[in-house]
Amino acid sequence: MTDKKLPIQQRMLTFLKKRAIGTGRFFKRIWAHPKGKIGLTVVSLLVIVAVFAPWIAPYDPYDVADRTTKGLTPSLQHPLGTTINTGVDIFSMLIYGTRISLIVGVTAGVCIAFVGAILGVMAGYIGGFADNLIMRTVDVLLVIPSLPLVIVLTNVLGRDYWIIIFIFVALGWGGLSRNIRSLVLVIKNSNYVKAAELAGASRWRIMTKHILPGTSHLLIMSTALGSAGIMVAEAGLSFLGLGDPTRISWGRMLAEAQGGGALLFGHWWWIIAPGIGIFLAVFSFMRIGIVMEEVLNPRMKQSTGIHKIFKTLSGDYINEVFDSMEETEQPTTSERSAAKA
Amino acid sequence: MKKSYIVKRILYSVFIFFVVLTLNFFIPRIGVDDPAERYYPPQGNMSDAEYEIIKELTREQYGFDVSTPRQYLNYLSDLFLEGNMGTSFRSGSPAVTDLIIDRLPWTLVLSVSTLLLGLIVGILIGVVAAMKRGRWQDTMLLNASTIMVALPAFFIALVFSFFLGFEAELFPAYTNPDMVSDFSWSLDSLRMVAYNAALPVISMAFGSIIGYAQGTRNAVIAVTGEDFILTARSKGLKPNAIRYKHTLRNAMLPIVTSLGMSISGLIGGQVVIEQIFNWHGMGTLFLEANNTNDYPLMMGIMLLLSAFTIVAILVTDLIYVLLDPRVTVGEKR
Repeated sequence: MTDKKLPIQQRMLTFLKKRAIGTGRFFKRIWAHPKGKIGLTVVSLLVIVAVFAPWIAPYDPYDVADRTTKGLTPSLQHPLGTTINTGVDIFSMLIYGTRISLIVGVTAGVCIAFVGAILGVMAGYIGGFADNLIMRTVDVLLVIPSLPLVIVLTNVLGRDYWIIIFIFVALGWGGLSRNIRSLVLVIKNSNYVKAAELAGASRWRIMTKHILPGTSHLLIMSTALGSAGIMVAEAGLSFLGLGDPTRISWGRMLAEAQGGGALLFGHWWWIIAPGIGIFLAVFSFMRIGIVMEEVLNPRMKQSTGIHKIFKTLSGDYINEVFDSMEETEQPTTSERSAAKA
Repeated sequence: MKKSYIVKRILYSVFIFFVVLTLNFFIPRIGVDDPAERYYPPQGNMSDAEYEIIKELTREQYGFDVSTPRQYLNYLSDLFLEGNMGTSFRSGSPAVTDLIIDRLPWTLVLSVSTLLLGLIVGILIGVVAAMKRGRWQDTMLLNASTIMVALPAFFIALVFSFFLGFEAELFPAYTNPDMVSDFSWSLDSLRMVAYNAALPVISMAFGSIIGYAQGTRNAVIAVTGEDFILTARSKGLKPNAIRYKHTLRNAMLPIVTSLGMSISGLIGGQVVIEQIFNWHGMGTLFLEANNTNDYPLMMGIMLLLSAFTIVAILVTDLIYVLLDPRVTVGEKR
């Protein structure tokens, strides 16, 4: 505890340095993973495109004065042509569309991870009334069809993109917190948590320092998969014309293509381009999620890649985590079935 | 033990249904003092006095003239005693129930055929992939899944409606309205329904097929590693007997449970698909209701869809308990 005596700035500097080195190592390990390169490259590419959209896009799709002849076919000036109804450059729309997808997907995904982790750890570790309340809420959230409920809530609350993010977070934490809770129920009985309890650590310290790190691999993968899922949901919402009416998004581009005559005039690139955007974003986020999970939890070797995505979606993932834990710590049968319920 | 679990499970579903019902009652009342304002928002060319009169009429017509708890009780008694989900905001004030009943069969046509197609084809592919684990059949499923999992169903639907509907003219890109208006139980009529439903069903089924195929594959592989398969093999049973009697039968259980949860997603996703093909179903009805702020209709549809999901999850849970001898019930949930 010698560093307690150092001035606060010094301590913060060492902390930040340690963090930076840790993050750098983490990214190095992702890059070294056989499937990490493609995911990391595409994600960084998308982020760069989103951040520097005004410099990359040849035209400003929001600018009414920056419009040309309607319904141009692809050429050097307009790599993807222009829209039939408004004459906006489709390639520029595609680039600007990256922004809303990434902002909504990543923000909502990260917030869901926060809410899901806090509520899941609370439900699992504190138990009792808190557990009951949280898990019954999850049961309700999981039976209401989500897209119709999102539509009703945007109708009631408004359609700004940050309201849409809020709605996605409010409705989306259920599945994750249920999985986290199952995992916490097992971690709770491990020897190191019992030792910390005997040593007199506070509940808060145990939850944040001892239990939460044990769920990090599940958490980080769920964040990536959740972001991917929300990008799809947001695209669907915008496609129905119910997204933020002031922003260009890939879903809205598809809706405009369908309503603006892309089908009738045979302008297939107008439909394919935003679809490829959605595909790349969703695909790379899923990829990077799986890779991060494998870097953080190398013990689990039962399934890899795409199989893991489907197992997470169907809930089998958590059983495999239990199986991989059995080698070191044996959760009893009753613990496991209680955790699954 | 099992009986008491079943009773508990049913009671719990009823409880969840009541929570959904209550949410359904309160969501249109979020953020406004007077629900009449929500049901009839002020129009631009209307004076305050006129709007007051209209609000008064709205209150009377929709029963907002009593206290909120009283309204809630009225809502419950209407629903359970008369099966009445309220009055739609449309001209002629049709009952929500009638509007829904008109569309329900058409929606069910799509969801049931998607589910069946997904289940049958998906399970077949999954079994093949599991038995040829690591060979080209398995790799092909893996590659197809890698692509399909990142493609939203509505994009597939758009591409199909473009290439197969508009360009190749194999199937109608939009539903023919005659399908609904001229419907009769004749062979021609049914053929027309199948012809119009082809594209929506196929575009939704892609996701289901991949999902069920992966689920089946993983389940079959998991069961193959279980002790009772080893026992069966050491008893000297024939490989085919082990395959069909022991492995597949037990592998079907997780598929059954995943069915219940997947129905919620299927129902939600269908809204977009119905919109693309202009299908005469509940999804388009829901969007029409949303565009006209027809809250009674929207909430009626939400309630019905939630009820479907609750029943589906309950049934699959019970089937699981009844079928799987290994499930021990009665533990703390």
